[in-house]
Amino acid sequence: MATFELYRRSTIGMCLTETLDEMVSSGVLSPELAIQVLVQFDKSMTEALESQVKSKVTIKGHLHTYRFCDNVWTFILQNAQFKNEECQETVGRVKIVACDSKLLTQ
Amino acid sequence: MASSTTTSNVYVHVIEDVINKVREEFINNGGPGDGVLTELQGLWELKMMQAGAILGPIDRSATQKGVAGGPITPNPVHDLNVPYEGTEEYETPTADLLFPPTPLQTPMQTPLPGTAHTPLPGMAQTPLPGTAQTPLPGSDTSSMYNIPTGGTPITPNEFTSSYGNGSVPEMKGGPGRPSPYMQPPSSWLNQRPPLDVNVAYEEGREEGERGAPHQPTTQDFFTMPSGKRKREDFPPPYHAGGYIPQQDGAGDIQSDESKVVQQSFVQGRRLSSRIPQLDGPIPDPYDDPLSTPNIYNYQGVVNEDYNIVNTPMPNELQAATPAPVQNDIVDDDDDEPLNEDDDDELDDVDQGEDLNTTHLVLAQFDKVTRTKSRWKCTLKDGIMHINNKDILFNKATGEFDF
Repeated sequence: MATFELYRRSTIGMCLTETLDEMVSSGVLSPELAIQVLVQFDKSMTEALESQVKSKVTIKGHLHTYRFCDNVWTFILQNAQFKNEECQETVGRVKIVACDSKLLTQ
Repeated sequence: MASSTTTSNVYVHVIEDVINKVREEFINNGGPGDGVLTELQGLWELKMMQAGAILGPIDRSATQKGVAGGPITPNPVHDLNVPYEGTEEYETPTADLLFPPTPLQTPMQTPLPGTAHTPLPGMAQTPLPGTAQTPLPGSDTSSMYNIPTGGTPITPNEFTSSYGNGSVPEMKGGPGRPSPYMQPPSSWLNQRPPLDVNVAYEEGREEGERGAPHQPTTQDFFTMPSGKRKREDFPPPYHAGGYIPQQDGAGDIQSDESKVVQQSFVQGRRLSSRIPQLDGPIPDPYDDPLSTPNIYNYQGVVNEDYNIVNTPMPNELQAATPAPVQNDIVDDDDDEPLNEDDDDELDDVDQGEDLNTTHLVLAQFDKVTRTKSRWKCTLKDGIMHINNKDILFNKATGEFDF
């Protein structure tokens, strides 16, 4: 199963990465095993988002920058408004990084 | 609130899922064991709670559940605390480990300077041998040219005095050399037979007058100091010949009588075929660079450079390449600080960018379209970190104005 390393930049992914870094640098964990854990995280995170998350979000804002490189879209929005069923958030500047979903199904 | 709880639950689920699916690797194939896996989970969850991505109570219950699923039930709460402290301890040792490498490097560096020129304090001295020699020719030429201008003459006088007093290292080191560079040449003199130089110097005068061509190498070296005197006395004639420095050496003796000098100079030209070869390394650089490059370099460099050049002169033949070396060294000094500053500035900028992009959305895109300046995109399976809150979505639609 193909996976994206994209979600490693999320809060949960960063926490895992920091933990693995500490354990590898302290000698408790081998780098190879740490990488296996990260790969498993990629899979588990992707599956969880597909199977356990049902919410929908709408995003509006001023598109400051757009970039499409290596099948990854990057948007930088200004004065962006995020809305879902339960809450609404406004942010002065936000970055959106999106991989091509078709790459996972192939 | 509901979204945050949902996010927390999903995170807890992901952690459990990862831990359970990796457990086999930890236990089998000589892995670190289940204890390390438990530590990993505890650290991970602790960090998540500190980040506010997992709600404390839910996390613990989830952990207990996870543990229940796994082999170890009793540990859950303790695991969080214990591993946390442990990590800190580990961190410090790693830092210590990192330090050792730097000490290793420093010792390496120190020996080099010490070995090269123990007597002299300056670090630069090690390279000096090569560099010093080159400067000689350049210094000669520079001094020659400089003398006419007027400012430079002072330095040559100093040199002549030091040399004239005797190649004795003490004299050189003590008197007049403000810069460390000066010292290196003295070291050379010390290492090389200073006494011989003196003797040779006198002999060189006689030989130079009588017949410069006989032993060009020795004569040149010995004569060099005397040459300075001559230079002062007769700058213009030297300009004519590229090989001037060598001739000057011979001419030193002649300095007493201008006619003699001129004669020797003529002889030098006649003999020049021999002289250039012997000097070979030295003359080549002089010929081309003499007119322009050397002059500019010296002008650009401070008076100290002149001193350096002069001192190397006694050193002898090796001169050819050294001149550029000196320039390089100077450049290196200038470059290093500049580079460091640049890096710092860049780092600061990067940090600023990071701060600006703390709001982040990670997702997969199904479709991105644009109509004029209006962009529409459909995203799925996303993690948003906005206003310090993590929000997950299954689908998202975006409408942006560019």
